[in-house]
Amino acid sequence: MASIPEASPELIARLRQPDTVRAAFTEVIKLYSEPLYWQIRRMVRSHDDANDLLQNTFMKAWGSLENFRGEARLSTWLYKIAINESISFIEREKKRAGISLDEHEGTIDIAAQPDIDGDSLAERLQEAVARLPEKQRLVFNMKYFDDMKYEDMSQILGTSVGALKASYHLATKKIEQYLEQLD
Amino acid sequence: MANERQNILELARKDGLAVPSAGLSVPDGYFDSFADKMAAMLPERPELEHPDEIKTEGKRPLWNIVRPYVYMAAMFAGVWLMLQMFTMMTGANRLQPMDSNPVLAEALMNDDFMDNYIYNDVDDWELVDQMIEDGSLNTDEPFDFEDFTAITPDSETEAADVILPQ
Repeated sequence: MASIPEASPELIARLRQPDTVRAAFTEVIKLYSEPLYWQIRRMVRSHDDANDLLQNTFMKAWGSLENFRGEARLSTWLYKIAINESISFIEREKKRAGISLDEHEGTIDIAAQPDIDGDSLAERLQEAVARLPEKQRLVFNMKYFDDMKYEDMSQILGTSVGALKASYHLATKKIEQYLEQLD
Repeated sequence: MANERQNILELARKDGLAVPSAGLSVPDGYFDSFADKMAAMLPERPELEHPDEIKTEGKRPLWNIVRPYVYMAAMFAGVWLMLQMFTMMTGANRLQPMDSNPVLAEALMNDDFMDNYIYNDVDDWELVDQMIEDGSLNTDEPFDFEDFTAITPDSETEAADVILPQ
């Protein structure tokens, strides 16, 4: 079961000191690059795109580090940036492809993704998740794969816990239906 | 059927597929090298890393600080002067005080003018009240009030001569 790492108070304090801010931010990158990468990767599917978006995420975080005042957790702040980057990227891609924002589900061809393992159940699950609308996919990824608490998701996505629960329920229904069709 | 379908997700979880990397792969050593590569790409942030130097460099001379206020004051003064000049040119400020206006002063000296234009609208009763108030009419002496009420148009001028202060 995955869990989101949390920066120590000492690391946060070092982020606020001019002489240690760069080294502390490098530690932040080491701490969060993997969970953020998978979160992004599950949204955009391609490794190259995920890599670019992860770099953009850390660039933006570094560029606006003074805006992180410590009211929210560092992980929440970074997840927000990463998810905003991912959603912006997906919307740009959809506009480029001429697909309306509501017609995106089912447009990802899993078989065409070279980085996806061939394991059958994993592949089917990936395919089912990829067919979800992006917001349901986000919620499903955070809950199912990252095992994130609804309260944390609520802070990151700016949505109520009730709406997130409903969204997750809908997502699991759709995945179940899709897997049923394959059987 | 719902339970079977739910079991698929549960089965995937038990099979270790409910992890972020399930079914996906990355190039070998990607995460090991990412942090260092990313750190090397981070641009300089002098305001974060060397704020003291920024503060020293950023000290502005007094003139630079007050300059916008001086410019603003000069602008308002210019507007005020312009308005004054405009008023002078259009003659809108030529009105003089009443006592230095010879035409008005002469008119006020003329009793006929006062009678015809100023006292004309005053009721006789008000005049009598006023005279009693300022003491020009002695109420202790016998006074036939009918003299005022019986003023006819022909005798109006004479009556007015009697009651009006000279």
